[in-house]
Amino acid sequence: MSSASAQPNRVDRAIVVARDRDNVVVAGEIVRHRRATRIIHWTVALTFLIGLLSGMPIWTPLFGWMAYLVGGMEVARVIHPYAGVAFVIASAFQFFHWLGDMHFASDEKDWWRPSRMARYMRWEDEASEEGGKYNGGQKLFFWAVCLGAVGFLVTGIPMWFPLRFPALLREIAIILHDVTFICFLIGVILHIYLGTAAEPGTFRAMTRGTVTRSWARLHHPGWFRKVTGESRDKRT
Amino acid sequence: MTVQALEIKRSSAAMWGTKTGLREKPVVSKYIDTTTCIGCKACEAACQEWNDLKTVATHQEGSYQTLPHLDADFWNLIRFNEREVDGGLMWLMRKDQCMHCAEPGCLEACPAPGAIVQYANGIVDVDPSKCIGCGYCSTGCPFDVPKFHKTTGKMAKCTLCVDRVEVGLEPACIKACPTGCLQFGSKEQMVAMGNARVSQLKGAGFQDAMLYDPQGVGGTSVVTVLGHGHPEWYDLPRDPHVPLLVRAWKSILRPLGVLAAFAAVIGVFGHYATYGPKEPPEGDGVGEGRTK
Amino acid sequence: MTNGWVDIKNADVILAMGGNPAENHPVGFKWFIEAKKVRGAKLVVVDPRFTRTAAVADFYAPLRPGTDIAFLLGLIRYALNNGRYQEDYVRIHTNGPFIIKNEYSFNDGLFSGWDPNTKQYVKDSWGYQADPKSTAYGVDPTMQNPRCVLQLLKQHVDRYTPEMVERICGTPKDKFLKVAEIVTSTHPANRVGTITYALGWTQHSTAVQIIRTAAMLQLLLGNVGMPGGGVDAFRGHSNIQGATDTAGNTEILPGYLKTPQGQFQTLADYYKNAIPMTLNQQAWPSMNYWVNYPKFMVSLLKSVYGNAATKDNDWGYGWLPKIDANYSWMYIFDDMYRGSSMRVGGKETGPEGFITFGMNPVGLGPNSKKMIAALSKLKWMVVVENAETETATFWKAPKEYGGAASSQIQTEVFMLPAANFAEKDGTFTNSARWLQWKWKALDPPGQAKMDQEILSRLFLAVQNLYRKEGGAVPEAVLNVTWAYANPVNPDLAEVLKEMSGKALGDIKDPKDPTKVLKTAGQQLDGFGQLQDDGSTLCGNWLHSGVYTEAGNNAQRRSTADPTGLGMFHNWAFSWPANRRIMYNRASADANGQPWDPTRVGIRWDGAKWVGDVPDMKPDAPPGTYGAFIMLPEGVGRLFAPALNDGPFPEHYEAVEAPIANPLHPKVTSNPTALIFKSDQDSFGTVDKFPYVCTTYRLTEHFHYWTKHQAGGVLNELMPGFFVEIPEPLARQKGIANGSKVKVSSARGAIEGTAMVTNRMPTLKIDGKDIWHIGFPIHWGYAAEKGHTGPLANFLTPSVGDPNTWTPEYKAFLVNLEKA
Repeated sequence: MSSASAQPNRVDRAIVVARDRDNVVVAGEIVRHRRATRIIHWTVALTFLIGLLSGMPIWTPLFGWMAYLVGGMEVARVIHPYAGVAFVIASAFQFFHWLGDMHFASDEKDWWRPSRMARYMRWEDEASEEGGKYNGGQKLFFWAVCLGAVGFLVTGIPMWFPLRFPALLREIAIILHDVTFICFLIGVILHIYLGTAAEPGTFRAMTRGTVTRSWARLHHPGWFRKVTGESRDKRT
Repeated sequence: MTVQALEIKRSSAAMWGTKTGLREKPVVSKYIDTTTCIGCKACEAACQEWNDLKTVATHQEGSYQTLPHLDADFWNLIRFNEREVDGGLMWLMRKDQCMHCAEPGCLEACPAPGAIVQYANGIVDVDPSKCIGCGYCSTGCPFDVPKFHKTTGKMAKCTLCVDRVEVGLEPACIKACPTGCLQFGSKEQMVAMGNARVSQLKGAGFQDAMLYDPQGVGGTSVVTVLGHGHPEWYDLPRDPHVPLLVRAWKSILRPLGVLAAFAAVIGVFGHYATYGPKEPPEGDGVGEGRTK
Repeated sequence: MTNGWVDIKNADVILAMGGNPAENHPVGFKWFIEAKKVRGAKLVVVDPRFTRTAAVADFYAPLRPGTDIAFLLGLIRYALNNGRYQEDYVRIHTNGPFIIKNEYSFNDGLFSGWDPNTKQYVKDSWGYQADPKSTAYGVDPTMQNPRCVLQLLKQHVDRYTPEMVERICGTPKDKFLKVAEIVTSTHPANRVGTITYALGWTQHSTAVQIIRTAAMLQLLLGNVGMPGGGVDAFRGHSNIQGATDTAGNTEILPGYLKTPQGQFQTLADYYKNAIPMTLNQQAWPSMNYWVNYPKFMVSLLKSVYGNAATKDNDWGYGWLPKIDANYSWMYIFDDMYRGSSMRVGGKETGPEGFITFGMNPVGLGPNSKKMIAALSKLKWMVVVENAETETATFWKAPKEYGGAASSQIQTEVFMLPAANFAEKDGTFTNSARWLQWKWKALDPPGQAKMDQEILSRLFLAVQNLYRKEGGAVPEAVLNVTWAYANPVNPDLAEVLKEMSGKALGDIKDPKDPTKVLKTAGQQLDGFGQLQDDGSTLCGNWLHSGVYTEAGNNAQRRSTADPTGLGMFHNWAFSWPANRRIMYNRASADANGQPWDPTRVGIRWDGAKWVGDVPDMKPDAPPGTYGAFIMLPEGVGRLFAPALNDGPFPEHYEAVEAPIANPLHPKVTSNPTALIFKSDQDSFGTVDKFPYVCTTYRLTEHFHYWTKHQAGGVLNELMPGFFVEIPEPLARQKGIANGSKVKVSSARGAIEGTAMVTNRMPTLKIDGKDIWHIGFPIHWGYAAEKGHTGPLANFLTPSVGDPNTWTPEYKAFLVNLEKA
């Protein structure tokens, strides 16, 4: 009857919709991240990766081998600051892109507490009903990324142009760049773990853009209900 | 290139140290007697010529001093300082260059493996083929010596004429000095000469004459006789150290950071093994149409 | 130098005054340091500026530029009044005991014999008083006679009290007394001091008298002839000593023989004027070595005219060019500018052509504007140079230097590129009178030729013209020998051989006429073998012995030092006769025994003099001759009847000075000073030009030459012109360090970067705060790109010393403003 049936499933409908819309249900899946979101995310991720590969060999000789991946130490020295700038710019887009979803709900305000994080990691945390599309941990990570980007930028500039800054400032900058990086690295490791192995079904949100209903209900019940219009007790 | 014939005692960004242990060599040193330096700059010219350094565009800005500070193309600079104490005028001249510290802050700070080396004879040298031009060395240096070269993108500084010293010659600056205020030899000899000169000076009315060989950086391979016990009058730090923050970042923060990163990776595996993945209950999506 | 560079290490006290050796002679300065480090010598610096030398001195005292004589006479007064002079030395080695004519007097700044019309002295009264009982001169060995030189000197210097020194020089009294105490501490026989100077003394209108005062002080202290003593002039160029030795000046032939004057038409007439009379033969047997003058002169003429010089034609004396007036270069430029010579009553025209060889008159001034104007009046000029100097490009001089549009200048300029010092062999004669051979380091670039080739080709072309076309007195040119293996480019070793001298016939031993010392064609051993019968040839008697049968002694490089005093007799050749310390006879007492056994110049061993090459007949026992064999008195002169401006030195202000002479305001500056008065020569007064100015050189640069160095290190080390200004003056004028200032004199104005410094002292002169400023000379409008700068000599006056005609670059008046 429709043209859709005349041209059977050459393109997954969900993906087509996910090009420019999110928070909609399509053919049993929910579009979580439209294309723009995913591009921004992966740009941030890619620039971070380049920064990582070019920065870690300079950070410590233990990761000196990474320099080969970017063309050697000298290339690393040259591209690292540019990768950093790209990362900061991408992060800035990301910041404005996601800002609206990143306000902590009242029952998320204690996410900064290690006890709350630990509870979550023990899979004992109750998903917030008010939290919306992202949980407290993700929001925390968002803010940490933003803060980190600013930190990298501010401390990175004196390191980029060492001759224009007094020695003490450079010393402090290097220390803070390192501290920022260490925190960031731990955060990224957790981020990747949670986005892949720990919480199956998540990764596709950043690739296809869609998640399953059951995934959405489990992880983001508030958002799930808002998107599907289902009531809190529909399932039971 | 580093000089192959010389044993390397220490190398920058080395994982476990690269002590060769082949031969022990006496540590060499320059000797600078500021009380007999006439600021003639023969050492500057000799340095420029021997090292084939590019001419720096200098400008007359109201001083006899060639440049306000060392440059990537100017490794040897006589610093001129006027000072009036109790109505007596002094015009202090000191040859500034890399001090070749026994515990070099530049080497400590340098992240590029082998870019800064310390030879067994004490000379601290930059290997431009390995230098990445990050400038960390200048952060690590308490004497503000290594300078970034805009054309090559590398750091540059006095090599103590390692290419000459290696074949038994004195550094070019020493060779050129007309008054003998510059000497070259083993550290031991130079310190002895310096101490002798200091006691001679003390007898001649320079009560607070001193030999500048700062122990905060383990001593230097440039020992300087100062007529007045005020290193700062000569643009020298009174008690130089490798900056504490450089030590902190290199010796504490970075190992901790590496540890933390590995701990995070291991922790993640442990978590997976302990808690497994967080998945929606089986059949959670059943009963919902694929289309709305 | 009476002594040598190395010898400075033997000094107990070094007074560096009128020079900045650390700056301008840094290599030789090592011996100052050696003396300080090894002997614990005291280095005293007296200078208008706190110099690089002062930076390493044991004591520094400031003085106003141009007041050195007052300071030195103050030292002499201190020495005499406090008994701090070496009396025995003065008695036997100086004319201190000699009685002076009763007619001699000194009043109100003028010595007896002043002729206000000619502005010159008639020197008759400046002589020794004849002893009525003999034909000799009166001598009082007790030196108590009020008319003896020492007493007259005492009387003459009595006005130079420390207070007067402070009033004239601005040197605080305590500092002066400290200097006096250190310097005169060398009066005991076993203490020795040296005095070193350079252009800071020679470039004054009282230059020769300043140097004389130093020499007198050294004679009084018993320091002349002693190892570690002497009066040591540091020459301004690497080979300026060689240039003066070899007739670099208008008034001398090689070896300081006199240039013949037109009035002396025969050799005999010439000798009468040139050879000093032996004086005081009875009071003190004087050798008066100049009695050998004819031997030097005939040998010189033989080297010039070869076989054409015969006894019958006065050895060709008649062909030598004669001068009718002073042709020192300030005069030449004055003539050039005026278009006529004022010295011979305007009868002669000025020069129409000019060959300048390695000299840059526009740069070295004085009064560069006049130099440029003078060159503009020439028909042609040949510049032989390494670089396009200010002189070579005077027709492109900027307007502010008075340069006219080049279309208005008719002078045709030829530039001949020349090899520089490193591009040719030859000798350098250093300040210590050592002729040292140097070897060519590299070939001259492009078409540049060596000096001797340029000169030879010019000479041969001129000779050829005379041969073809005749002309007035062609034989004067045609008879000149040019018998070099390669006449167009003589080997300089061959020239050195000629200068050193060779036998043309057999030379017999005067003690044993059967013994032949040299056969024809052999190189001579030294000037002792020169003859006045045409049997020897010698281009410069003073250099005789530099190239003997043993070879080129200028190439000797032995560091053997048997005396232990750093004489190094087998290193190069030191004129005269390879002597390292001049007047070394004075280092020993009347019996020929050294004043200081640790510093033996020479000593009499009973049969001969041993030690250095004796400045004495080697086998003449003590008492035979006086120690100063070149002087007719045979003794050192505290009273010198020879100079044009007085037998004793006297403080005269510079021609441009900030105050009237406090001693005699009516005769304020040197009455005999050479002052040019063309319409280009103007002079400033203190109301318009209140600051004293002095000029100097920097260690980083060589004259006007290094600024031409392309991409050179030296322009990097000292990038540009600056004006050193005392800090209080700068504050008063609101001048910040590094800002631009304008300095103007009555001749012109230049601009430069201010260097505000306490190294320029503030001095209280005659009750007033008087400042002096200064700047280096090395810049000009012709230079490698980016290294041009103002010409220092744009501001200096055409004023000179009356004996040497050297310009007064070191003290003149200027005004200073923010630019």
